[in-house]
Amino acid sequence: MTDMPLPQTGRAGARTKGSLLQADSRTRRRNAAEKRFRAYGVTAIAIAILALVFLLTTIIRDGASAFRQTYLSIPVTLDAEILDPQGNRDVAEMSRVLTLGYGRVLDAALDRSIGSLELNIPGLSEGDVDGIVSREASAQLRQRVLNDPELVGQTVELNVLVNGRIDGYFKGRVTMASAERDSNVSPQQLLLADALAERGLLVTRFNREFITNPDASDQRPEAAGIGVAIIGSVYMMLVVLFLAVPIGVAASIYLEEFAPKNRITDIIEVNISNLAAVPSIVFGILGLAVFINFAGLPQSAPIVGGLVLTLMTLPTIIIATRAALKAVPPSIRDAALGVGASKMQSVFHHVLPLAMPGILTGTIIGLAQALGETAPLLLIGMVAFVREYPGGPPEGLFDPASALPVQVYNWTQRSDPAFVERASGAIIVLLIFLLCMNLLAVYLRRRFERRW
Amino acid sequence: MYDTTRTESAVSQQDIKISARNVQVYYGDKHALKDVNVDIQDKTVTAFIGPSGCGKSTFLRCINRMNDTIDIASVKGEIRLDGEDIYDRRVDPVQLRAKVGMVFQKPNPFPKSIYDNVAYGPRIHGLSRNKAELDEIVEKSLRGAALWNEVKDRLAEPGTGLSGGQQQRLCIARAVATAPEVLLMDEPCSALDPIATGQVEELIDQLREQFSVVIVTHSMQQAARVSQKTAFFHLGNLVEYGATDDIFTKPQDSRTEAYISGRIG
Ligand SMILES: Nc1ncnc2c1ncn2[C@@H]1O[C@H](COP(=O)(O)OP(=O)(O)O)[C@@H](O)[C@H]1O
Ligand SMILES: [Mg+2]
Repeated sequence: MTDMPLPQTGRAGARTKGSLLQADSRTRRRNAAEKRFRAYGVTAIAIAILALVFLLTTIIRDGASAFRQTYLSIPVTLDAEILDPQGNRDVAEMSRVLTLGYGRVLDAALDRSIGSLELNIPGLSEGDVDGIVSREASAQLRQRVLNDPELVGQTVELNVLVNGRIDGYFKGRVTMASAERDSNVSPQQLLLADALAERGLLVTRFNREFITNPDASDQRPEAAGIGVAIIGSVYMMLVVLFLAVPIGVAASIYLEEFAPKNRITDIIEVNISNLAAVPSIVFGILGLAVFINFAGLPQSAPIVGGLVLTLMTLPTIIIATRAALKAVPPSIRDAALGVGASKMQSVFHHVLPLAMPGILTGTIIGLAQALGETAPLLLIGMVAFVREYPGGPPEGLFDPASALPVQVYNWTQRSDPAFVERASGAIIVLLIFLLCMNLLAVYLRRRFERRW
Repeated sequence: MYDTTRTESAVSQQDIKISARNVQVYYGDKHALKDVNVDIQDKTVTAFIGPSGCGKSTFLRCINRMNDTIDIASVKGEIRLDGEDIYDRRVDPVQLRAKVGMVFQKPNPFPKSIYDNVAYGPRIHGLSRNKAELDEIVEKSLRGAALWNEVKDRLAEPGTGLSGGQQQRLCIARAVATAPEVLLMDEPCSALDPIATGQVEELIDQLREQFSVVIVTHSMQQAARVSQKTAFFHLGNLVEYGATDDIFTKPQDSRTEAYISGRIG
């Protein structure tokens, strides 16, 4: 645009002798073009920044509350009659008592504590009182007692999860008006919650469980966490790291430095570029066909997810690594060969160290892409509802797990608005992971960049 | 022209370091070097002159088989180093390049310290048993390249931080450190200023005591100053080869005469 000769005005070739203090019309037009171009650039950047700010504020506004959770602290008498009918504190025997039994214990505790407060809330039914704690609370209590049978018979001060609607009330998601129309919560319960909060029995504190808990069912958004998804994502990243990086870097070094330049390598090169452009869902279909149907690997397993993401990441890593290798001046290779270094020595002593920053950046960008990838994972069953934590690596790689982006997708599909908060919270965690990876890339780049 | 070569080689038969017979080089279909025959003597500076693109670098790169690294290049004919055919299938080019060092047109020190630049060759070839020996090789090589006094206090600094002339001398030191028998230099002064050029030329004259030096240059003055033998290339042919004085005072071939008198170039 700027280097196109502007049409000559006036006589061809004639240059009017003007003062240097005054810009001639041609200069003025060139300067105007430059100003316009700068304005385009600034506008583009401003739009990008605005979009980013809008995105981040929305996510943080919706998701920050996922990291806070409302708990009710009440004394609970763990009735031995109900929880350990045999009276021998044998865990095997005790585990016959289902969550229902613990629910009764909790209900009794609730009725007692709240009754003793002598609150005067017209129309508050016993069901309303029992309903303010989460359905998950009795399951959590059961787990706790089975882990420590000696608790039976004692009265312990417990922090129990409250129902998602009550939690939502303290986060501004649920109001008296919406409670009128909501079959899951009544205005009386909200009044009760207010009264309990006033007395310091309902507290909102940091929600560690959101990071560590597994997913929870539709009725229990308050108990849902991203623990399994984080483990699944980390496992998949490990698989990608241990497979895609060595294979990708080795393949690039071979192609760039050793392979003869002929038809076959040309075809390979074109195919690698094509693979990088293949939609990720296609890799999911491939993974389903090859790893699950053909190789018989389990569904929903991080190993399969990792393998699929490896295939998807390989072209990115190869292209970045080859670009980094290409950027190393050929004179360095000549210099090494000239003093009698072998091809391999010249590559590993001189070329690779110089290409390192580029390789690392490309690799981490590839990993970050893989971390955020959703579509192929849906196809290989990573979208399943998984409550069990996978085992430790390497066996755990074959256990069912979820993945962060899939968990986000999953939660956005659910009807309860409390899951929107959870999904946004998971996005925040995902973004923090990505940010950390990018910072690592910048750090490594700085660290390995030769300062001469 | 062939006669000249033969009489030369007859005079100093035992001193011949490199002998090339019927060397052809093709870059794909392009016939870049045609039927080159030459005998290069030991402990002599031999200059290759000729217009740009005539194949001087190509021939130089044949002598240490750097052309192997170019996929489309193919070399035919025979080049012998001390009577051994360097294109024999049993020859490992890596081993050859340790014997035939090379200095390139553009100074290309490694992005490492001055010390490591010089020590790299000895290290990979196992020329030293310990640090003291390596230090000694580095010092000797840097002295040999007339660089020691300038860099002895900053051996740990990057080689790329030196001036152009110093960098080129560092590259010479690096080549010398592997104890080669032949030193090939492809227009080693073309990126240097006159003072640095003077230093390198002086250095080349000293290096002659230890090695057979082959230098490509586009400057006839330089060829006249540093070399004892000169070969004139033109369009892929070795047109004339002989004692430098003879080439410049009584050229046999009309093309040589035209070139040195500035009519082709
Ligand atoms: N890598 C290469 N690929 C193809 N042709 C080349 C290559 N290197 C040199 N040539 C060709 O070979 C001829 C001789 O080149 P070169 O030996 O570099 O000339 P000089 O060093 O005498 O200037 C030139 O015509 C050049 O175009
Ligand atoms: Mg050249």
